[in-house]
Amino acid sequence: MKVFIDPPNSMILYDLVERFGHEPLSAMAAIQNKIDNIEVDMPPMNVTLDDVIRGLKYAGVEVPSGIRGRLAMWGPLIEQADAAVIMIDAPFSFGCVGCERSNEMVKYLIKRRGIPTVTVYYPKNEEEAETVVGQVKEFLEGLK
Amino acid sequence: MSEERETRLFMISPDSMLTPDQLVRMVHAMGMEATVKETCYGCLVEGPSKLVREILAAVREKYPYEVFSKVRAYPCGDPRRCRAQHGTRPGFAQLEAEWAALPLIEHGLKCSDEGKKYKAHEEEKQLPLDDFKKICEASR
Repeated sequence: MKVFIDPPNSMILYDLVERFGHEPLSAMAAIQNKIDNIEVDMPPMNVTLDDVIRGLKYAGVEVPSGIRGRLAMWGPLIEQADAAVIMIDAPFSFGCVGCERSNEMVKYLIKRRGIPTVTVYYPKNEEEAETVVGQVKEFLEGLK
Repeated sequence: MSEERETRLFMISPDSMLTPDQLVRMVHAMGMEATVKETCYGCLVEGPSKLVREILAAVREKYPYEVFSKVRAYPCGDPRRCRAQHGTRPGFAQLEAEWAALPLIEHGLKCSDEGKKYKAHEEEKQLPLDDFKKICEASR
C-alpha cells in the first residue's frame, strides 16, 4: 500500500515504512519527478505554471505562496495515499521547516481524506523510541 | 517515481562501529553495476531501480539495525547539489537531526524484533473549562 509520510522528507519514516513492507510517498519522489522530467534550475525551489494551478486546488489564493508551493508537491501524494504516518513534536530542524501552516494544512488534508492514519511523537528517549517503532509497525502490519 | 534511475542514501547510525568505507566496500564487493559514492554519513548508491533495491536488501540483511536508507531525488554529483561544484545542500539540517535520532530508532527496532511490548503514548486531554477560566482570571 502507498503510505504518505509526514514530515515528507524524513529518512526515519521512509525507512520504517519500507522496512515493514509498504511503499512510502515522500517529497523526494515528487522532487525526482521534477528533476527527471522538467529541466528547471533548482527544484523544488522553482515552480512551473502548472504547480501554481495545482497548489490552488489545496489552498486559497490568499494563502502565502510558500504554502501553496509545498502543497502543489505534497497534495497529489496525499491524494494517492492509502494510509499515512505522521510524526509530531519533532525539533524544528526535523522535516520541512518552511512554515508550520503548511504542516497544519498537510495534516488537515490527510484528515479530510479519511485514510487510516497513525500519529507518533518524536522520540526523546529509548522508551519513547520503542513506542514509535512499535506503533508504526503495528499500524503498517495491520494495513490490508 | 522513475523506474529508470534510483539514487539511494545510506546512513550509518552513530552508535555503529561500521565505517562509510566498510559499507562502500561491501557494496562494491557485490559486483553490481551501480555507482557508489562514499559520503561522511555512509554512502550514495545509484543505478537502475531493480539493482538498487537488491543492494538495499543485501545491506539491510547484513546490517539490519545500523544502516538506514531513503531515496534521494538528485543523482550523484548533480551540479545543482554537488559540493565540489558549490551546489546548495538544503537537506543538511534534516539529515543532521535524523542522524542524532538513529540510535533511538535502532533501539526501538531491536525491542520490536524481540517482541517487547511498548508503552502507548498517553493521549493529550483537553483542558477542563473551569481550569482554563482560573488561568485566565489569575493573569487578569
